[in-house]
Amino acid sequence: MRNTPVSAPAAKSRPRLAARLWMLAVTALAVLTACGGGTAESVSTAVKDSSSAVATARIALRQDMDGKLTRAATSTTLDDELKEVQTSRSSVLKLSPATPEDRDTQKQALDVLDQCAAGFATARAALSAGDGGTPSLADGDKALAGAQDALKQLGDKVGSK
Amino acid sequence: MKRILGVALGILTAIGGFVDIGDLVTNAVVGSRFGLSLVWVVAVGVLGICLFANMSGRVAAASGRATFEVIRERLGPRAGLANLSASFLINLMTVTAEIGGIALALQLASSVYYLLWIPVAALAVWFVIWRVRFSIMENVTGLVGLTLIVFAVALFLLKPDWGALAGQLVPTVPGQETIWTYSYYAIALFGAAMTPYEVFFFSSGAVEEGWTVKDLLQERTNVLVGFPLGGLLSVAIAACATVVLLPAGISVTSLSQVVLPVAEGAGKLGLAVVLVGIVAATFGAALETTLSSGYTLAQFFGWSWGKFRRPAEAARFHLAMIICLLVGIAVLATGVDPVLVTEYSVVFSAIALPLTYLPILIVANDPEYMREHVNGRAVNALGMVYLVIILVASIAAIPLMIVTGAGS
Repeated sequence: MRNTPVSAPAAKSRPRLAARLWMLAVTALAVLTACGGGTAESVSTAVKDSSSAVATARIALRQDMDGKLTRAATSTTLDDELKEVQTSRSSVLKLSPATPEDRDTQKQALDVLDQCAAGFATARAALSAGDGGTPSLADGDKALAGAQDALKQLGDKVGSK
Repeated sequence: MKRILGVALGILTAIGGFVDIGDLVTNAVVGSRFGLSLVWVVAVGVLGICLFANMSGRVAAASGRATFEVIRERLGPRAGLANLSASFLINLMTVTAEIGGIALALQLASSVYYLLWIPVAALAVWFVIWRVRFSIMENVTGLVGLTLIVFAVALFLLKPDWGALAGQLVPTVPGQETIWTYSYYAIALFGAAMTPYEVFFFSSGAVEEGWTVKDLLQERTNVLVGFPLGGLLSVAIAACATVVLLPAGISVTSLSQVVLPVAEGAGKLGLAVVLVGIVAATFGAALETTLSSGYTLAQFFGWSWGKFRRPAEAARFHLAMIICLLVGIAVLATGVDPVLVTEYSVVFSAIALPLTYLPILIVANDPEYMREHVNGRAVNALGMVYLVIILVASIAAIPLMIVTGAGS
């Protein structure tokens, strides 16, 4: 059987209203989910996300050194995780700290996140240099290990506040 | 013998076709953050999809018509429109996520940026829908998708402490998480297992393949054996993430993280197999979601539809699918993260579930369409229990999304 939808003029405004309500709900949802807390909370989230990204990159590098991961997969993983660190850095940069203490926390976080980005730069350079080139994958892992330590210290400091 | 082979093939394709980008990402995210403490949700979701997919297949076999077509006719245009709006939007989001998933997997294999793969992936999806026969399309992607069993193989090769893993099966909120994030991901996991497109595709597929009541046993076997085994694949994905990523403090945010446990356990060979599996699973799901979009639109508006017809005989059906693919490309071209689209799509799936599953339950009880094949008492009782679960998940999804900042 072929069915055709019923269209009554009075009912025409309903879909339009429903569409507006839907748009309003989605916008409100987007705003509410994007809302964050204070400086310490935002820095804490950025540290957590970046720690996850650095830990991922270190696993990928180790697997590459052990011959378990292809160069394409390692390179993609490093790119993905660097993006994660950049997102965290951008969110910390956008904070507007109200107190000197918060400003100090923000500065420390930016320094540590820059160290992470530098670690990723070394790791990616090592990947481009290939086997036996400089820097080596081990150098990349070392740089990321340093960044991981710095993130842990910052995380402990922010968490204790 | 031919019948046995048909049943075996159906089961294998049901297993291979069960996992899509939503299952891959959500199970890995959950495994990396909550261990195996949410496996019970997978079990609840798999039982639910078995219940409603079986009902939906029975409606198609008994009436010779797709579920959505019957819903539109039986419940009228308003209820049909509500169902269409919810399922179509979710379908569109899922099409986008699946195309993004294909592109991300191809980037992992080639290191060529995923945005460059998106038009290729969408073109391939369109070409297969346009040219390839339904049964070949379904069987090939389902069978190749079976290679995702490598997650289970990798789990064994990782030699985990099985006792400790089994201990995590108890539903508990891990120390570093809150009850709210736990509940949010429970709903996401439930939404991923019960994605609406699966039932629409299943029932329309039954019409495409000309199922009758004689095929009900095969349909039941495919669903009741294939889907639970597919659910075990989901658990293997979560378990791999639990063993490798959780102890390292890694929360999954990208597809590249999902494959690391497989590389850890099974090396480059495992990585190659899992990438083939992910491409097949996402490609198969992209075909299913694109077709589902066409099916729901065509069945609501009364257009001629189906791959069993030549494209010229179902022009609007094919045009609708092309437009859906173009919308998916356009959304992904904005640079939106496909993994994020996936995470939102499974939660929105959960929100839309009542609009999808309530009408199926009503139609499956209508003797005018079903004759002697209406739901039995036990199926109806279970269906009512699931409607309550679905309603709770649907109502709680948005408040939990706001409270948890989308699970962050």
